Amino acid sequence: MATHVDSADHYHQPGLQHQFEDMKQQEESVSIGMWMFLVQEIMFFGGLFTVYLVFRSRFPMAFAAGSNHLDAFWGGLNTLVLIVSSLTMALTVYYAQKGNRNMQVILILLTMFFGAVFLGVKTIEYGDKYKHGLVPVTGWNLKVKADPAHAAAEGHAQPCWEHGEHTYVNPRGEFQFPDCSMAKQAFDEQLQHPKETHLTAAERIGYFSNGQIDADKFRDKVRIFYWIYFVMTGLHALHMIVGLGLMTWLLWKAWRATFSHDYFAPVEMSGLYWHFVDIVWIFLFPLLYLLGRHFMH
Amino acid sequence: MSEKHIESGEGHIGIPGYIGVFLILVVGTILTYSVATKDLDFIFPGANTLVALLIAFTKMTCVMLFFMHVYWSPKMIWLSAVASFFWLAIMFAYTMQDYLTRGSGVFTG
Repeated sequence: MATHVDSADHYHQPGLQHQFEDMKQQEESVSIGMWMFLVQEIMFFGGLFTVYLVFRSRFPMAFAAGSNHLDAFWGGLNTLVLIVSSLTMALTVYYAQKGNRNMQVILILLTMFFGAVFLGVKTIEYGDKYKHGLVPVTGWNLKVKADPAHAAAEGHAQPCWEHGEHTYVNPRGEFQFPDCSMAKQAFDEQLQHPKETHLTAAERIGYFSNGQIDADKFRDKVRIFYWIYFVMTGLHALHMIVGLGLMTWLLWKAWRATFSHDYFAPVEMSGLYWHFVDIVWIFLFPLLYLLGRHFMH
Repeated sequence: MSEKHIESGEGHIGIPGYIGVFLILVVGTILTYSVATKDLDFIFPGANTLVALLIAFTKMTCVMLFFMHVYWSPKMIWLSAVASFFWLAIMFAYTMQDYLTRGSGVFTG
């Protein structure tokens, strides 16, 4: 095993590690290692998708209500941004295989640019949630004290399903979701069609107190949706940040013209990671942003 | 999957192919959004979610086969990719067979 040494009669390719027989074996070993990592990433995100599946199947209307307060424009834009970055990443691998240094550098910079745009949009979205009291942790939302002049006029006479535009008052920065119209909609349809299932068994307990819609109980179920939203998109954003770190490293290596027809494994493996992160978003976009869109009439 | 491409892992579909896959992904994204705004519950409850997931799976398959080069990869890579979804399906199925068969609520007979 230890006989693999460089000598005049033994050509040693520059990128070949001494434990591998040849570049093909090295390439396949590296690929399988990377895929094993991606498989455990699938299981890791899979656990979160399972949480989503369980809670959405129990409280579909609360999930739809929460989802409809996400901005599908920003979500859709970010989907397109990630797809473009996946294209530039795939082309980076293509040009690394061709040994074209300049195109590699340009395409890595473009990939980083689109990755940064994605994170910028995410920041705008998170900021928006902070301003509207949709961060599910008490005290992590914008704190606004009640204005005594307006407080009397506002009142609480309106039922929660007729809750229209309201002034944002949140002295302790709590999670807020005053609009329970989705629960009301499902409740009315259930009354009209008692034989059909418009409210799940969990919803029949989870949204009502003494047969009346309980705005606080409904809000707490929407809060579950926002927990899942922040954990999943937050971990996804963390993966994007790690990806940008990888790209910085690749940029440095590509700048020094490290990669060629024979040695491009780091570009290909970073590409696999980048595409994986794109795939996660392909599922997060419809499942988080669009799930309740069709209830909006 | 042709063996001749595996050498040096250079299998790819060329720049027009990559742009083609990219366009499929863009069309898929637009389709996802436009379908989500239509109420498909008249087909069966939850049809919207099924359509959204079908489009997402199609997009994922395109990314994995062509951008991630699975199409030209050794059988071991195919096995890893398919197996991960198989385990995921087991996790979803056994979790849901628990949650969906628990006692119903106080309002249901």
